[in-house]
Amino acid sequence: MIQIATSTGETKDHDLWQRIRVGDEQAFTAIFEKYHRTLYNYGSKLSTNSSLVEDAVQDVFIDIWRLRHNLTENVTSVKFYLYRALRRRIHVALDKFPSMEEISKLDDEDTPANHTHSEAILIEVESSSMRAQRIQELLAQLPERQLEALTLRYFDDFSIEEIADIMGVNEKSVRNFIYKALTSLRQSREILLISSLIFWMLLFF
Amino acid sequence: MKHDPYSLTGLIRNEEFIAWVMHPDELSDRKWRAFLEQHPRKRKTVESAREYVILLAKDTGRHQPTQKQSNRMWSIVESHMHEDAPKIPEQEPAVVFKTSRGQGWRWARVAASAALILSIGSVSYWFYYKRADNPVRDVVAREEADIPNTIQKYNDTDKPMTVLLQDGSSVVLQPGGRLSYSEGVNRKRREVTLTGKAFFEIVKNKQKPFLVYSYGLATKVLGTSFTIDASSESKDIKVEVRTGTVSVFSINNLDNNQKEAVLDKPELEGVTLNHDQRIAFSKESGKIIQLPAVVAVASDKDVSKQHFVFDETPVSEVFRILENAYNVRIVYDREKMGSCPLNATLIGQPLTEKLEVICNALDAQYEVADNQITILGKGCK
Repeated sequence: MIQIATSTGETKDHDLWQRIRVGDEQAFTAIFEKYHRTLYNYGSKLSTNSSLVEDAVQDVFIDIWRLRHNLTENVTSVKFYLYRALRRRIHVALDKFPSMEEISKLDDEDTPANHTHSEAILIEVESSSMRAQRIQELLAQLPERQLEALTLRYFDDFSIEEIADIMGVNEKSVRNFIYKALTSLRQSREILLISSLIFWMLLFF
Repeated sequence: MKHDPYSLTGLIRNEEFIAWVMHPDELSDRKWRAFLEQHPRKRKTVESAREYVILLAKDTGRHQPTQKQSNRMWSIVESHMHEDAPKIPEQEPAVVFKTSRGQGWRWARVAASAALILSIGSVSYWFYYKRADNPVRDVVAREEADIPNTIQKYNDTDKPMTVLLQDGSSVVLQPGGRLSYSEGVNRKRREVTLTGKAFFEIVKNKQKPFLVYSYGLATKVLGTSFTIDASSESKDIKVEVRTGTVSVFSINNLDNNQKEAVLDKPELEGVTLNHDQRIAFSKESGKIIQLPAVVAVASDKDVSKQHFVFDETPVSEVFRILENAYNVRIVYDREKMGSCPLNATLIGQPLTEKLEVICNALDAQYEVADNQITILGKGCK
């Protein structure tokens, strides 16, 4: 299979990967340097146990080095490989079973109602600082997989297809996770709008 | 899902919109500006969506590791890169120590080795040394570790921290520095991994070269003293030799067989450094460049800059100098020993060897426990 790199970042990773396969320590150091922080960040969404996450990140890299001569030559993207490995490792450590994935597939059929008309009002009212704060609150309360999907999408820049592969679900589920996460954002916005309207009303009457 | 793709949430989820916000290019810029021109009422929505995308990206990226965690993770990963397969533990012969006066000492290690640690909550080792009145009486007992376990020493204080290794070598670790090593694993080499800055004084052992790994640079010695500065922040690693000879080489582009051969060899290869010479190793390019020699200015607090030359120096002064250089506490009977004169040149010798020499001269013994060194003897009065 001919690998066509979509960006210079990927070409560079591909080169480093080949060098690791022949035992180049410097290339390995470079890959570690480039990805270990974002990997740790991702891992933290899967487990709040920081030692567990640290160990998992370490193990991913230790294993890559240990098995460097057996690494697959054609890796789609190094980043993708690393994230998948980390997720597997953390889930094994947490003793999670694949059956959990099956159950949530049922959620796919939900189609939430259309809220477009209320959005126009909401946008006028909001200020930047309120947005920032709300995002933080929202993210802190999200169910794990929704947060995971959001992180992989917005911070780690993976495509829906890649996220589906990493999380071991289908693409529809991924879109669903993201949609639900953003929907809860909207709902909390409405509550804030209503309470601020009430506040203003009380001021004037 | 039947939703307006240009609603707020529609935009936030839109692949092309996200790409335009996070990685804009000419094409996407044109497309979205055209969109805005055609739908001017969407301007506010677009701006909100943009802000939300950025906020989401920022906030989901909040859990990155601290520098400390980063260093710790790398340290452990790197220490696993040079492991041998664990070998069957052999009977190791007793290490014979010779002082500069030519007297033979034999010291027995009863348990695991001792290290001096000045931060709270660290593991301590113990060294016990017996005077060789009768060589037959000395027993060499060592705990062999069947499973290699990595030991980490991290200096999170603001003073230097002295670490004593199994073979008697000493490492003075600067604040922020981290040293990791495995006990009883490798029969052919002594190995440690370093991030940060440290001054090494290594016991001579021609059969077992001593190697320090730092970010892809290997520093190899047989017995000598030198400084390695491998701070995570700096782009270059610096190695400076105080006494003896050191060889440095980068462990890149060497296949496994080559690497094992180079690391095991008693001879030194790569770039060789002597007394007062130094090099810089670029982490990025892997190149080694020689730096101009530094004029060593004696400094009380910097162990690597000291000469340790004593000419009729009272022992109290000698101990004071050691205390400052290694940041350790030395407890002794000032009345009996304090004014005893000492003639010795102790440069290049690990702390334990320095203590040996001094105790030999004083007809005393030393003990290392927890945070201090205790000198027991009659003195010279």
